[in-house]
Amino acid sequence: MSERIIHGRIDRSGALVSADDPLLRLQQRAGAGLEKPLALPQLARLVALAQRLQRDISRPLYAADDHSDIHALVRVLPDAEGASLEISDWRARPTRQPLAPALPEAAASPRGWTWECDAQLRLVALRAGTEAVPTPTDWEARSLSELFELLPDDDGRFAVLRALARQAGFEGQRARAEGPAGPRAMELAGEPLFDAAARFTGFRGTALPTGKAEAAETAPTLSDPAFGSLPLSDPAFGRRIDGALRGPLSRIIATAETISGQFDGPIRADYARYAGDIAHAGRHLLGLVDDLADLQNIERPGFRAARDEIDLGDLARRAVGLLGMKAEEKGIRIDAPRTDDRAPAWGEFRRVLQVLLNLLGNAIRYSPEHSQIWIRIDRDGDRATVTVADQGQGLSAEQQGVIFEKFERLGRTDSGGSGLGLYIARRLARAMDGDLVIDSAPGQGARFTLSLPARDEE
Amino acid sequence: MRDSIAPSGIDPASPSLSARLRELADYLAAPTAGRLTEEQRALSLGIARRLTVELAARLDPAIDGAALWHDWLRGGLPAADRLAAPCFARAEEHRWRAQSALRESPPPVEADGVDAVPAGAPLSPADRARLTLHIADRRRGDALGNPCLASADLDPEVFRALLLDIAAWRLGALADDGAQAADLGETVRALIAAQAGERGIDAAARDYHDALADEGGVAEAAAAAIAGHDWPALIALAAAAHRRRYGDMALALLTAEAAALPSLLAPLRLDRAALAPLEASLARLSGRALAGCWLDDAVPEGGA
Repeated sequence: MSERIIHGRIDRSGALVSADDPLLRLQQRAGAGLEKPLALPQLARLVALAQRLQRDISRPLYAADDHSDIHALVRVLPDAEGASLEISDWRARPTRQPLAPALPEAAASPRGWTWECDAQLRLVALRAGTEAVPTPTDWEARSLSELFELLPDDDGRFAVLRALARQAGFEGQRARAEGPAGPRAMELAGEPLFDAAARFTGFRGTALPTGKAEAAETAPTLSDPAFGSLPLSDPAFGRRIDGALRGPLSRIIATAETISGQFDGPIRADYARYAGDIAHAGRHLLGLVDDLADLQNIERPGFRAARDEIDLGDLARRAVGLLGMKAEEKGIRIDAPRTDDRAPAWGEFRRVLQVLLNLLGNAIRYSPEHSQIWIRIDRDGDRATVTVADQGQGLSAEQQGVIFEKFERLGRTDSGGSGLGLYIARRLARAMDGDLVIDSAPGQGARFTLSLPARDEE
Repeated sequence: MRDSIAPSGIDPASPSLSARLRELADYLAAPTAGRLTEEQRALSLGIARRLTVELAARLDPAIDGAALWHDWLRGGLPAADRLAAPCFARAEEHRWRAQSALRESPPPVEADGVDAVPAGAPLSPADRARLTLHIADRRRGDALGNPCLASADLDPEVFRALLLDIAAWRLGALADDGAQAADLGETVRALIAAQAGERGIDAAARDYHDALADEGGVAEAAAAAIAGHDWPALIALAAAAHRRRYGDMALALLTAEAAALPSLLAPLRLDRAALAPLEASLARLSGRALAGCWLDDAVPEGGA
């Protein structure tokens, strides 16, 4: 490698008496060898000069053989018996012309982007041509495959990944990039970059548009046996999740519960416990699948909930009926609205029930044993409200500020939730022209209030 | 040299007799002195032009950058004295790096570094700072890899002077339009204020050096940079260690005599053997200027 020092020794007559391999090979290729006069004219002159001056001399060395041109730095240290050679930074001169930009000018279309990434495919440069759509502002250090949704070729292969494995150039990598006017179909090409030690340091290339924004919509997408070619934004994606994940997860849960319950005969207690853990984790995953399917659905542009005639009192009592057993397991008492309490409102029946189940489920999960939960319904002007209050540890103002954010679990690491429930609940409430708010303080429990447009009964 | 926007303007010599006589007088005053090569002149001028055109576009998108540059080519760059050092430093750095990009052998088929850090793995502070330095460095080139000066890396005085020169040229073209002149002044002030907040390669260099210093890895990283001919990383580390600007340190390194390198890089605590590839690389750079004199191939260099 370049940092290695190559040594040689010249005697008083100018013969090479010892040499490390690279120097010896060069001497041999020049038609000489050990104990022969130095056959490299420039080096021989330097040695003679150093011996005449009796001082060290450092100079660049340029030597050529039939394979390559050699560049190195040679240091000649003369002494009474001849001279020692120390040669560093030994490297061959390539045939390419220096200073040629890595990208041919013709390749950088004014309608395209140029980019450069490091060996981990993190973008270190991205520029738009003069007539190109602007690049995203947050491209720095993002992964190439994150900025560009890479699409397989007709054989299902990705040119850029093959090029990465081979450290070679590539072209024709189809991709889709987000732009201000929607996704754009692009084609990527790149050349590998190497440092002076021939280590791969990344790619540099172009991204050229292959059609209009609409063309990208029809471009083939990554095909997956479980999900087909559906992008996450496709409404059918959520339905596919049911088929692909819900079935296997349900079987895992059922089998684990069978083992845990020792229905097929007694097993060791710790094995039964493990099976119980598996069933618990499976249920958590199933809940996450539900949440993700919901998330995908409600984040779809134009999502609107139905406008049903509902009664928040009735829905609250239904939620209590569904989760009452779970509360009883912890000795929690739920103070539900009386059967004659009514709060007519507008909203989608099953979505409101989903929100209430989430609120009540959270209250049960985070309430201490043998505590109490209150559910109150009310009307405030044109809003009908239902409030779920618990005696849990409550939330600080800071926690209240983030609790409705996606995947926010307030640092909890138990498997009780995905961190999506409250986010989804609020999104649903707002999709029904309502809202979901929290009122809490540390040590004083939490009060979640769902408000919806009130409905006047005739 | 290739250029994406317009010819560099190097080829046609000035037809002015007085300019020719000035040039001859300079030559006669020091006939044996080495002079800029065509490559150095073309690179420096190209850097100045890209900077001028970019700043002109930021100042007022209606400015015809090509017309501005054409005028300045004919009459001379108003900020020539100020621009000379940064443009020359960037040009020489580019030549140096281009020379080093010529590699020893074809790359190995098997990657030895690609999987060293799995994609998506969290980066250490030093790696993150290294990546930021890499990005800041790439802002110093155009889409084709031609060298540029990023506004964030310019000395504020140079930046301000260049903006004012461009604005003055624009005002000349606008004649007596007071409203547009006021807008131009406002934009100049806004750009100057914005530049003060920009983080360029100097900040990235400091962050990289500090992150490595926290890990005690400055010397190792500097040695690796030299071995890999990663000159931007070396310049950045040296600049941060000396508390100098990146461009100043680049020029200091590029014009240093071999004997001066150890002291110049002393804060990086490199041993002599680690410096050898640096010494060799600089020695190979043709037409290199040395601080205080011109490199003369007839004079043995680095003799100890």
